[in-house]
Amino acid sequence: MRGADRVSSFVLVVFALVAVNEARKLRFGSLSSPGPGFVPLCLAVALALVGCLLLWRALREPESPAPPAEPGARWKSVVSLAALVAYTFALEPLGFVLATAALLFFFFRVLDGQRWWVALAGAVAVSMLSYLVFARALHVRLPEGPWS
Amino acid sequence: MELISGLLYGFSVCFTPANLFACFVGVFVGTLIGVLPGIGPVATMSLLLPVTYAMSPTASIIMMAGIYYGAMYGGSTTSILVNIPGEAASVVTCLDGYQMARQGRAGPALGIAAFGSFIAGTLSVLGIMLLAPPLTSVALRFGPPEIFALLLLGFTMVTYLTAGSKLRAVAMALLGMLLGTVGLDPILATPRFTFGSVTLGDGLGLVPIIMGLFGVSEVLLNIERGVTQEVFETRIKGLLPTREDWKASAGPIARGSVLGFFLGILPGIGAIIPTFISYALERRISRHPERFGRGAIEGVAAPEAANNAATGGAMIPLLTLGIAPNVVMAVLLGAFLIHGVQPGPLLIREHPDMFWGVIASMYVGNVILLILNLPLIGLWVQLLRVPYGLLFPLILLFCIIGVYSEAGNVWDIVVMLAFGVIGLLMKKYGYEASPLVLAFVLGRMAEESLRQSLLLSHGHFNILFTRPLATTLLVVALTVMVLPAIVPPVKRLLGTVGEETGT
Repeated sequence: MRGADRVSSFVLVVFALVAVNEARKLRFGSLSSPGPGFVPLCLAVALALVGCLLLWRALREPESPAPPAEPGARWKSVVSLAALVAYTFALEPLGFVLATAALLFFFFRVLDGQRWWVALAGAVAVSMLSYLVFARALHVRLPEGPWS
Repeated sequence: MELISGLLYGFSVCFTPANLFACFVGVFVGTLIGVLPGIGPVATMSLLLPVTYAMSPTASIIMMAGIYYGAMYGGSTTSILVNIPGEAASVVTCLDGYQMARQGRAGPALGIAAFGSFIAGTLSVLGIMLLAPPLTSVALRFGPPEIFALLLLGFTMVTYLTAGSKLRAVAMALLGMLLGTVGLDPILATPRFTFGSVTLGDGLGLVPIIMGLFGVSEVLLNIERGVTQEVFETRIKGLLPTREDWKASAGPIARGSVLGFFLGILPGIGAIIPTFISYALERRISRHPERFGRGAIEGVAAPEAANNAATGGAMIPLLTLGIAPNVVMAVLLGAFLIHGVQPGPLLIREHPDMFWGVIASMYVGNVILLILNLPLIGLWVQLLRVPYGLLFPLILLFCIIGVYSEAGNVWDIVVMLAFGVIGLLMKKYGYEASPLVLAFVLGRMAEESLRQSLLLSHGHFNILFTRPLATTLLVVALTVMVLPAIVPPVKRLLGTVGEETGT
């Protein structure tokens, strides 16, 4: 995991430096009347320092042999995430029930490997049921889409 | 006598049908999600926040609190039967609980976990009742410097008592505070880090961040790695612990309760650390420490008592100061604010129905939980057999509904998904999410109180050292920082348990 430590602390340092740069654009003010940039700049600088310390510690450790391949399938989380992003932007144009049914069908069929009609029936049932429970019974705001 | 009349008043509030129902729903949902791995009380409470809009403020807080301590109960069931902690706070329960189950003593393990939780829960309610009113008068003397000092104490606690790398926890706390500065400046309303976006102009929401870091990331990780579902197949019999079990557990439950309660009050501790400490304590003072990890009932009783008592203790800073000592309380604070109630020293005077009603509901909730848990354990076990392929789309769906319904803004879902990815990476690279979220919440308050203090003192930091209360808190914070170095036993105590549980 030491190679991983280098990567993660490096990312932290880069993020902190970007934040320092952005915070510098805000008015720092003075101790007696601290401006909007006062706290963000202090925090970003502190984060950069801690990140450097982590990076330094990770670099001092000897390079470890290649980490054992992690069990599991990374494609599954990547595909799920892509589906969720697509769902997010389809939510308002399509409406909750249709978009959710499509998302659930995808999860049941592709990730869980259900037979297509089981997946379809399950997806439709769950999306309609959750709409009824949340939007109708609990008065939670959900996008209606074109079928309002 | 004021206490008794207050409590009686609380019971009269709690026993109205609406509040009683809210209490029941809260502890029921809490137990349910406590049993299910992959969704915890923080995500659930955030999810149900919009549902409480239609309820009375008192009923919503009663329900929210019920979810939290209900989850503490439910989490132990999976630890014992499946060796998977349903909640982070029941990680330690796995050590001896699962061993007991393998030796055919699943019944007594579940039973003592439920009774231990019940006793600890009740004791901690007593503690709140006795401590909150006097602390309220102290809290009235809190100005910005005192608040800032207390928050600083919280930050040191959360980073120095973390089970993993301290430096990483510091980094996450700083990152959380930095994320908290996104949006409008609290005093001058200057936009910061918004990059012209309207969604960012309101600041990053607590609910999307929590759902992303605790809900979505957990699901993504489980999707990648796959979830092994092995439910203990033997029939569970004899839930009532025997006389020997009680004799062995009475001391651990009492010590766990006291320890958990007082640790829970301190900002930044949460319910997890008390379980580690109480387990370590029991093993240290036991005459047969070698039994621990091999199915010692004390190893189940003490941490289960500690995590429930910590729940009660954590209510104290929230009710008296309006400060959230941990992430769960931050969500609860959000629930108060949604209903236009500011918890703090004035709560007990201005909203006595809420103050006493919530406290009384915790008594009632504990009784309901005991009734729910003992006969219904079979049902909860069945729930564990729900295949994950069916469960995870539902968890994701609930997260999305919860985040969207808060403001009806699709971009909040995007923020949640982004933090889901960040959370996944944090889990893989060994960073903890709790310091980040807590610092995110406390960071805004800390900035405000620091800047107000500096305005008050015309730029002199010594305002923090000239007021006795603030100074005391700062000294305590400093002590916490150097404590692990000067008191090796404490360090060893914390260290050894951390190693054993692999956290």
